[in-house]
Amino acid sequence: MGRTNKTEEGRGDLLFLFAVILLAGLGLVFVYSASCYNAGVRYGDEFFFFKKQLIGFCIGLVCMVAVSFLPYERLRKGGLPALILSLVLLALVFVPGLGKSNYGATRWIGFGSFTIQPSEIAKYGFVMFTAAYFAKDPGRMRGFKGILPVLLAGLSVCVLIMLEPNMSVTMCVGAIMLGMIFLSGVSPKTLLAICIPVLVLVPVLIIAEPYRLKRLSAYLDPWASPRGEGYQLIQSLYALGNGGFFGVGLFHSRQKLRFLPFAESDFILSVIAEETGFLGVLLLFLLIGFVVWRGFRIARGCRDLYGYMLVSGITLAFAVQSVLNALVVSGTIPPTGLPLPLISAGNTSLIVTMTGMGVVYGASRHKEGASPHKIYR
Amino acid sequence: MILVITFLFCLFLGRFFYIQVIRKENLHYLALDQWTREIPVHAGRGSIYDVNGVLLAGNDAAYTVYARANAVENASSAAATLSGILGVQREELEKKLSDRSKSEIVLLRKTGKETVEALASSSIRGVYYARDDIRVYPYGQLACQVLGFTSFDGSGTTGVEGYYNSFLAGEDGELLYETDLVGVDLDNSIAAYFPAQDGLNVRLTLDYRIQSLAEQVMGQVLETSQAKAARAVVLDPSDCSVLAMVNLPSYDLNSIPRNDLDALNSLSRNRVISDIYEPGSTFKIVTAAANIEEGLKGNSRALPLNHVYSSSRTRVVDGTTIKCWSDHNNGKHSNQTLAEALNNSCNPCFVDIALSLGRETFYDYLEAFNFGRATGIDFAGESIGMLLPESIVRDCDLARIGFGQTIAVSPLQLACAAASAVNGGYYYAPRLVDSFFSSDGSLQKKTQATLLHRTVSEETSRILSGMLEGVVRDGSGKKAYIEGYKVAGKTGTAQKYENGHIAQGKYVSSFVGYFPADEPKYLALIIVDEPQGTYYGSTVAAPCAREIFEGIIDMMHLPRSEG
Repeated sequence: MGRTNKTEEGRGDLLFLFAVILLAGLGLVFVYSASCYNAGVRYGDEFFFFKKQLIGFCIGLVCMVAVSFLPYERLRKGGLPALILSLVLLALVFVPGLGKSNYGATRWIGFGSFTIQPSEIAKYGFVMFTAAYFAKDPGRMRGFKGILPVLLAGLSVCVLIMLEPNMSVTMCVGAIMLGMIFLSGVSPKTLLAICIPVLVLVPVLIIAEPYRLKRLSAYLDPWASPRGEGYQLIQSLYALGNGGFFGVGLFHSRQKLRFLPFAESDFILSVIAEETGFLGVLLLFLLIGFVVWRGFRIARGCRDLYGYMLVSGITLAFAVQSVLNALVVSGTIPPTGLPLPLISAGNTSLIVTMTGMGVVYGASRHKEGASPHKIYR
Repeated sequence: MILVITFLFCLFLGRFFYIQVIRKENLHYLALDQWTREIPVHAGRGSIYDVNGVLLAGNDAAYTVYARANAVENASSAAATLSGILGVQREELEKKLSDRSKSEIVLLRKTGKETVEALASSSIRGVYYARDDIRVYPYGQLACQVLGFTSFDGSGTTGVEGYYNSFLAGEDGELLYETDLVGVDLDNSIAAYFPAQDGLNVRLTLDYRIQSLAEQVMGQVLETSQAKAARAVVLDPSDCSVLAMVNLPSYDLNSIPRNDLDALNSLSRNRVISDIYEPGSTFKIVTAAANIEEGLKGNSRALPLNHVYSSSRTRVVDGTTIKCWSDHNNGKHSNQTLAEALNNSCNPCFVDIALSLGRETFYDYLEAFNFGRATGIDFAGESIGMLLPESIVRDCDLARIGFGQTIAVSPLQLACAAASAVNGGYYYAPRLVDSFFSSDGSLQKKTQATLLHRTVSEETSRILSGMLEGVVRDGSGKKAYIEGYKVAGKTGTAQKYENGHIAQGKYVSSFVGYFPADEPKYLALIIVDEPQGTYYGSTVAAPCAREIFEGIIDMMHLPRSEG
């Protein structure tokens, strides 16, 4: 395990940094490709979404670089405030006048044309809190009582996001929570005791909301309602099928011609799959996999438990989201609204993810070759 | 943790591989449908010609203009331009062009070439036109029940138009445009073009000249006799191809009374094929043929040619009395042979024949002459007539069938039976179509005469024909006589039945004639339904046959026969 690598000190893991910037750059290209037709028809400007994304990319880049100069220990004290801020922002969604509704869900808060999606921030707020909480007293992780605050924080974030409603981000936060508890070295028995109620809760939540049930049945047989619930999934599958192994070529997607809803955001992977084929998807996920691998490698290289938990938590959030999005796009799990991090159009997600990646890269710069914590998994 | 994530990566990558590579074809096929909008390319409908190539049904080029509202960029300016071109109210057009709930809306039907040329040069997005020809019939009423007509969308519904619709219609093609979700054309849309395959042209056996001659003659008799209806069929007895088929009253194919369904159904019915009647004395041809043939075969129950029939006016069968139409007072119906019985059309003689031959033998001939079955003509809605089943027929029924009562046939059935009795004994399935040509004029298929049965021997046919020539020369058919052309035939006058009772004063006068008797080339069956005043077939129907035959002789410059 623990490995010292003095050569990376100072410059940090540049490959990781480049991979992240490359992904965000690819995101720019595909946001343009996926949205140009629709933007041209709707706004008379085929660069409409591209320009927005470019702004997010620039801000994200600045934040990423800025954060990487900051020793991550500084964030440690921000754990609880970050959680509280997240919860406040999530709660603000429900304040009339501030909350913005779209597609039957209230997921954004806005000031004029500027909107942010608090759930994107809350994911990382939760990671910061959990990392700080565990690092403060590693002994806490042994018993269920010690974990309880983490569970409570996770649940309150989940409940607020669920109320928007946004099932997929809820699932995402849940997965991050379980992942971090696992990484913290909790005993298998305790982990199991936490997992089972969560697994029971999922079907209950699905049945509680009629639209989720509909989406589930659409997932099981999308062709039963090709114009209704199954539409989105069918369109995504058409895009994938059209792409084949090598794809139809960059900018040549047919499905983006208003057939595929959310082509530039949640379903951007469909357009990538159509234009670059299975080969493109494979290469893209090799790149994402590379980022995840380097992320965990950096986490293991951190000199303290806090760094380890924080970095692996951020990496985990990125990995979980990427995988969930790919599972949705390929019709493996029921369709939910979840962006592909770094790639999908959506500035809150892009800026926050890039900032998070800045923290990870920063960690690779500031490590001092200390031996890793023995319970690291 | 890394293991879990790696596993998930592999899981969905496998899924992507399955969808993108393995299910590719299937999904692509499904998706293709939503990526394109098709504009139909209508196939030109085949024309219908007479046997000499005279056009009887053709097309006038016309177009239908329609719009896909979703592809129209500016409804109000498009409506303004279109209003000038199409001559349709601007408000109406704008309303149609703004209705995005429908993917396709018809703006104007059956418009001329100038309109679409103007439309093409204006190049308004989202507005299209497609060929939508108007069917035209140069001779209007001529052979209207035979030709039939097409429905509003141009597919044949009745007559030859209906029966041969699959040949005439051809196959529509398609022009595919690539569009987005709501139907907006793509800028560099690749339009796939599947050309239409034009329908085949049909050449009938019908001769336009004989048809119009027969219609003229029958129109006259309809007027002078003030009959309810007049029908005629002219065949070539050597192969039963139909030369003319007349049903009067008729209607104009170019202005079909589509709004009066009862009238349309009645007027468009080809009653020569679809309706039945009691043939009366013309049926005696069949009875006589059966008797002659059985006699030649040596059947002792056949009455010999020189047999002298009883002069009594009545026959009592199964306790019912059957009378001759004549009162037998002037002595003409006394001591007759078969030839004389035909000349006089004496009913009791044919009762004797039917009863003497007996049920089994007589029914063998009814079957050979194809009664109670379809003739197999290439036309929809043929009636098979009404023939009592052999198992239940009584002697008194059999006796009446002998002179054409208690049996109902279609005019076509009778004409074909008569043709086979005198053409040497060959029963051919009648036919209306001679051949099919493709639009470039090359022959695709020629129909052949189909021999269904032998009815009688050539010898019988020759003897019978001689007797029928006598009928026209000396007997009831005199009014069909043409010096030097060996016209032969048989008259018929039948009382009509209504609700099972004889309808007083209602008759069907008929005559079936042909010439030349020794080698028949033209056979005509004339039927006048409910003539007023004189009602005998000999006086009402026979002259019509003569007029038609004279017309044919003129037309074809036929030489007189020697001897």
